[in-house]
Amino acid sequence: MRVELAELFAVIMFFISFYGLIVTRNIIKSVIFIIIMEAAAIMFFLSIGYRSGILAPIGPNLAEVESWAYIADPFPQALMITAIVIGLSVTTILLIMTITITREYKTTDWDTIKIRSLEK
Amino acid sequence: MLTNFVIIPILVAVFLYLFPLNKSARFLALLAQLGLTAAAFWLFLETRQGEIFLSIGSYHSVLGIYLRADLLSAMFIFLTAIFFLVATIYSFHEDFGRLFWFLMFIWQAALIGIFLAADLFNIFVLMEVSAVIVAVLIMYNRLKRSMYDGIIYFAVNIILMQFYLFGLGYIYRLTGTVDMYLMSERIHAYHYNYLMLPYAAIMTFIALKCALVPLFAWLPKAHGSAAAPPAVSAILSGLHIKSTIYLFIRFQDLFELVASTQFFLILGIITGVFGFVMAIAQTDIKLILAYHTISQVGLIFTALSIADATYLGGFTYSFVGGLYHIFNHALFKGGLFLSAGVLAAAYGTRNVYKIRGVFRAYPVIGAATAMAIFGIIGAPFFNGSISKYFMVSDADTLLNGVLIFMSLGTIVSFVKYSNILFGKPELPEDAPRKLPILQQTMVLLMGVLCFLSGIFGVQTIQFLFDITVYIDLWGYIEKTLIFFASLAVGVLIYKYYVKESAFLKRIKNVEMGFRTMVFSIGAFFTTILLVVGVFYQP
Repeated sequence: MRVELAELFAVIMFFISFYGLIVTRNIIKSVIFIIIMEAAAIMFFLSIGYRSGILAPIGPNLAEVESWAYIADPFPQALMITAIVIGLSVTTILLIMTITITREYKTTDWDTIKIRSLEK
Repeated sequence: MLTNFVIIPILVAVFLYLFPLNKSARFLALLAQLGLTAAAFWLFLETRQGEIFLSIGSYHSVLGIYLRADLLSAMFIFLTAIFFLVATIYSFHEDFGRLFWFLMFIWQAALIGIFLAADLFNIFVLMEVSAVIVAVLIMYNRLKRSMYDGIIYFAVNIILMQFYLFGLGYIYRLTGTVDMYLMSERIHAYHYNYLMLPYAAIMTFIALKCALVPLFAWLPKAHGSAAAPPAVSAILSGLHIKSTIYLFIRFQDLFELVASTQFFLILGIITGVFGFVMAIAQTDIKLILAYHTISQVGLIFTALSIADATYLGGFTYSFVGGLYHIFNHALFKGGLFLSAGVLAAAYGTRNVYKIRGVFRAYPVIGAATAMAIFGIIGAPFFNGSISKYFMVSDADTLLNGVLIFMSLGTIVSFVKYSNILFGKPELPEDAPRKLPILQQTMVLLMGVLCFLSGIFGVQTIQFLFDITVYIDLWGYIEKTLIFFASLAVGVLIYKYYVKESAFLKRIKNVEMGFRTMVFSIGAFFTTILLVVGVFYQP
């Protein structure tokens, strides 16, 4: 099985952001890492259709192509546009939650919030 | 036809959002829900003749989006419709505002969509939708504490959705399709090594959504949230978590080449034991029930994984017991959460030691709670005893002992819970004399269903899963004797250990922070990758 550079990059990015989620104590940074993770998963999915030297599945020069094998698979793009839209709304909700929780607890630190949430 | 099951709840939701305070609007919603339940029942009967499937937009090719209903998914849809009917009637007179009703019906559409979806990408989308809805609903009353619960629930779930998407991408790369059925045909062409990574990613997602150890920490926060209306907690524990168990059953079939039943057997046992230990330690009634859900999910996982059984690969009695326990757990846990909601509102506290004398103060709720407790501890003639009877039938001696031990833990935690039933009621001044009649009826209905699905256990299994099973009378009597013995032991343990155990007091407030949760996700992912990669390498 061939591994494209883009795929490898996406996998590395995915796990770097996962590591980031473990080490960061700031909610905003956590949200950013979640966004990066999402982007990595989407990029991984998108790069499935791509091989080097292949044509995009849209545009005028498709008619001249000899075989379908030279055209990129358009299916991942169709799926990922949905995933991106969902990702956008999810990010919005996460940020709204961050705003409310920061107002309530007066901090953006996960550990402090945990301690304060246990107080009555 | 199948699309209506998703579209109609969404239309009802929009309708309720537009006409919120109008009572006739709510009445119409109730009618629509009744109609949906009838339709779900029809679908359930129809799938006994064979699978029903529908291609959205009539693309009859690999690229089409299919909805499929077989017996298993039709059973779950039927259960969903009944549950939401009960929740609708239960909250009929409550004043939760338009958002509540809107979210409830969208949630129902999302759940039914998950059960109907034949392609993994639809499942991804609907899972995200339901995660958003649940996050909003568990912080519905905007308490300070529940904000934290909500953001933890949502963030952890979203991280795991990325794992799922990642695994899905990997399988798409191999098989070139997202359709579950086509995928299961093509997946056999690939070597074991290629399937390890997607299996690990997707199973991490499943394990988190089902709250297996060590990924359980979000569940008590979400299910035991003080800010969630009782109907929401009941659906979360009774139904929502079952949607992922349904996916587990499907994915174990899909990945049968790499699927490791033994791993989930062990994990189920650990989860079961851990869940009841934590449940015993709690004093908040909603938290006892929430931790106990973890234990029961562990029990279901154990039963589904005994004897290498899968849904398509032939049933065993244990597997049927597991399936039936999914149904039973929905009934009794739903009933218990609904009654806990009523009691918490009436007594003004959720402390298990402060609520006293439910039998005297509210006899109907007391009776329903008692029936649900009998169901959950597996008392003879109640539904829990039937599913537990089948669960152990394929277990060897060691496993049998483990299952009895788990059952004992359930008994101890519910001996503690049943404290609320007895004694002299000490109600606050403003406690209602009579509870709303609709709420009482619904709680009682759940209790009675626990009893009915117990005496007609064999018939119910025949009806729900189209499988004929037999109960050996002497075997059942033996199990009954074991039950009474463990009940006696359970009461003794409660009296002499649980009441003044320092250990239980210490673990009561053990909490996992967000970063620890993320770390345990990573640890789980690595573990499952190692297990399928190293120990099970053929």
